[in-house]
Amino acid sequence: MSVTSVDAVDARSFAGRLWAVSWPLVLVVCAVAAVGTAMLYSVAGGSFEPWAARHATRFVAGLAMVFVVASLPLRFWLALAYPFYAAVLALLVWVAVDGTQIGGATRWLSLGGVSFQPSELAKVSIVLALARYYQWLPHDEFQSPAYVLMPLLLLAAPAALVLSQPDLGTAALLLAAGGTMIFLAGIGWWYIVAACAICASAAPFAWSLLHGYQKERVLTFLDPERDPLGLGYQIMQSKIALGSGGFSGKGYMRGTQSQLDFLPEKHTDFVFTIIGEELGLIGTLSVLALYATVLLLILLIALRCRSHAARLLASGAAATLFFHLFVNAGMVMGVLPVVGAPLPLISYGGTSMFAAMALIGLAMCAHVHRRDVIDPRTVNPLI
Amino acid sequence: MRDGREDEARLRARFSRRLVLFGGVQAGLVGVLAHRLHALQILEGENYKLLSDSNRISMLPLAPTRGRIFDRAGQVLAANRDELVVQIIPDRAGDVGEVLTRLQTFLPIDDREIARVIDRARRQSRILPIALDAKLDWETLARINVAAPALPGVETEIRKRRVYAGGEDLGHILGYVGAIEEFRAGQDPALRLPGMKEGKSGVEAGLETTLRGKGGQVRHEVNARGQVVRQIARREATDGADVTLSINSALQARVMRHVARYKRASAVVMDVHTGEILAMASAPSFDPAEIVDGVSDKAWHAIESNPAKPLLNRAVQGQYPPGSTFKMVTALAALDAGLITTKERLRCSGSYEVANHKFGCWNRGGHGRVNLHRALRESCDVYFYRIAERVGMEKLAETARRFGFGEMPESGLAGEKPGIVPNQAWKLFTFERPWVPGETLLSGIGQGYVLATPLQLAVMTARLARGRLVTPTIRKIDRETHQPAAPLGYDETWLQTIRKAMFAVVNQRGGTGHRAALGWPGVHVAGKTGTSQVAKASRARRNRDLPFHLRDHSLFVGYAPYRNPKYAVAAIVDHGGGGGEAAAPLTRAIMQTVLSDPVASGRGRATTRSDQQARNAAVVSRRVVRQRRRARRRRNRR
Repeated sequence: MSVTSVDAVDARSFAGRLWAVSWPLVLVVCAVAAVGTAMLYSVAGGSFEPWAARHATRFVAGLAMVFVVASLPLRFWLALAYPFYAAVLALLVWVAVDGTQIGGATRWLSLGGVSFQPSELAKVSIVLALARYYQWLPHDEFQSPAYVLMPLLLLAAPAALVLSQPDLGTAALLLAAGGTMIFLAGIGWWYIVAACAICASAAPFAWSLLHGYQKERVLTFLDPERDPLGLGYQIMQSKIALGSGGFSGKGYMRGTQSQLDFLPEKHTDFVFTIIGEELGLIGTLSVLALYATVLLLILLIALRCRSHAARLLASGAAATLFFHLFVNAGMVMGVLPVVGAPLPLISYGGTSMFAAMALIGLAMCAHVHRRDVIDPRTVNPLI
Repeated sequence: MRDGREDEARLRARFSRRLVLFGGVQAGLVGVLAHRLHALQILEGENYKLLSDSNRISMLPLAPTRGRIFDRAGQVLAANRDELVVQIIPDRAGDVGEVLTRLQTFLPIDDREIARVIDRARRQSRILPIALDAKLDWETLARINVAAPALPGVETEIRKRRVYAGGEDLGHILGYVGAIEEFRAGQDPALRLPGMKEGKSGVEAGLETTLRGKGGQVRHEVNARGQVVRQIARREATDGADVTLSINSALQARVMRHVARYKRASAVVMDVHTGEILAMASAPSFDPAEIVDGVSDKAWHAIESNPAKPLLNRAVQGQYPPGSTFKMVTALAALDAGLITTKERLRCSGSYEVANHKFGCWNRGGHGRVNLHRALRESCDVYFYRIAERVGMEKLAETARRFGFGEMPESGLAGEKPGIVPNQAWKLFTFERPWVPGETLLSGIGQGYVLATPLQLAVMTARLARGRLVTPTIRKIDRETHQPAAPLGYDETWLQTIRKAMFAVVNQRGGTGHRAALGWPGVHVAGKTGTSQVAKASRARRNRDLPFHLRDHSLFVGYAPYRNPKYAVAAIVDHGGGGGEAAAPLTRAIMQTVLSDPVASGRGRATTRSDQQARNAAVVSRRVVRQRRRARRRRNRR
């Protein structure tokens, strides 16, 4: 191993490491958040209150966090991975025992006057924990069943707790992102084939475990006209909003569907429909292109990293962001069932913004420290 | 052992292969999304546009009508009058400028107003109506409605405007309404309507939730041109509830006249049985009708920059050191703790020394040896320094809170102040300094950090008079269902001792409050004077030599009739000098007015004997005064 490169990295000053971030990525992320702020301004009827101003403030705070996360060494974050994972797991248990119920599901926790969703934090902790695990795992153990089972358990524990809230969407997103990371880490194809087979055969069993309203959502998704005034209403209205935008949209702040309060969660999960209605296909494709650029930049970072942990951090961040984008956009255009998944950086929500920025920060950290080599023996496996 | 580097290279290669695969999957799925968007927005776009247009349901909030405010006799004090407004919805108007220009033939609107509306339309959501600043009568309204097809997006509406009776007499009590400044998410959507108002002060703000009501909603199906096709659903607004105040507005007007004789003064008249505020005056005052109509910047500036602060309701927002009116509390604390007997006499030599600091009595010559009765009657400061020292601040503070000091009275008026009851923890928290023993002494005579509002002083007086935890309210209380308040929890004999002393203050030789005496046979006021220092006491200068803003405040609290308490009054004349000089005669004037009012607290006819007695006394005394005046005139003529 080249020791000099490690030394070279450490020799950089704090400011030097700050400067080493991927500026194109910072720029694109800012652009996405700006779109979000503008749309929230429009949803509020042309007002920074109650959403747009806070959204922008949170983003700026998040950006500061990205720089801090990026400039600290990878080793530091990996050392924090398991304690953070344990803390998030504890919070999830706490929510299950004593959380605030909003809209039939218990997802919120209040700590010192700040209420947040631990399930959003779980997204970050999973990425960190899996990266940490594969950094520690010796190469010749990658394929042994016991060491394949371990990350699965790591993944299953928070997913099960989130599922019990009940929050099917977030649980599925956790599993998808975590699964992708395990796949990228390098487990054998046979395991993957087996996992798919198990999933397929367990589907009917899982269906019986779903809550009534979750079944309803899936059925409504398959046939929106089934219940046009109830659950289908959201999908129908959201499709009407998107479709009626046409090529160039009805104009900024002129969306009739959205401005007239057709969509109950237009500032959070359904914000994409407003982009479609007011800015048309040009708007929606531009947003998709912006996201694609973000994802591409992060994937390129992953390809250039020297340590396996850095690669996994970057690709885990990309996978999490991608699945959110896909599920959210798919849901509002009726390709996927309605599950709660925010559009990162655009939907209004403090914890979701924090999670997205934390993930981007980790990817950025991988970029800044891409030349670092981490000796697995120097990171204590117990912490 | 295998070569780690080779292993590492193989791992990296596998990761890269799989990452590229994953990237490809992502690209594919994003492609699916883009394809689907294309299908939705372009291929089926027209279809959805039609759906959206025909499906355009306009949801309009319906404004609730604000509840009215009555006085205790059922007279309307605040009501709503219809006002005609013309407004424009930019989304339906299309070209706002052009429509407004056409509207100019009906309405006198100038180009500046048009520019304002166009600018506003650009900055806010286009579906929210913008009200035009123009006076409208029924005829113009009809003509605009007839011409509606040529004026898309123009709507006429009947809005409610708030009107107030009573002018300056009721300004502080009623308060006024104004435009809603900030709309918070989760609030009633009707609040967003252009005409909605919220209470800004007084009862309008204090009883906002009762008066406001809840907004309704109407859903219309609207066609592509914005015309209403049909009504889908309508949920009527729940109008705000009417409120009947405890205020007797005839009495209020007269009390206000008494108080307005002073530059800055305030008074509260309270029913000691129910805690109802029968009158509450604060001078200078303001007329809410002038403010609610939309006040010009200049006029507003004049009100705001007036050093006498006409918008300040001194009766609930003015915090004053209660001065000697606080001595009843100190006395009761000492009696209750058994630290003083009614017989024990303490020496007053004109000052009292603690920790090398001399605390003076107002009477520099000293009162000699005084017992509690005399100490209250003559308001001996040294006596109260000494018993306050015995009682200690914690017990004193606890007693003060029992009388309503240091907490919000919660009478229903907005902007009430809680005053201050200091103790060791409070001082440590506020000033980060420990309590000094001398401060207990000062608190014992209502100086130092102690602050109270006139309303709190009236509550204290009512509680002393009745021995019950009377709570103040601005709303009328139904006497049929009214339950007497809980007992105060002090020995009745101690309360009686204090009441006797308060009687002596007004009606005995040597009492500091003799100018509050009614001069009526058989009806007496019991009370206490108070003087609260504004500037540090200085021997060299007398109060009246000081500049106005440094002169002492004059306070008086009292209740009457002494034998059968009905009304409590607290009066403060800002910078009026000693309590006996200004506030005592003011209280007498108020008490005379209250007691000669046949329906002061609305029991209809005066039936009880003492009422009758009081009124007879008033008639007699008025006759006596008239006779004396006539005699004087005759004398003068000669």
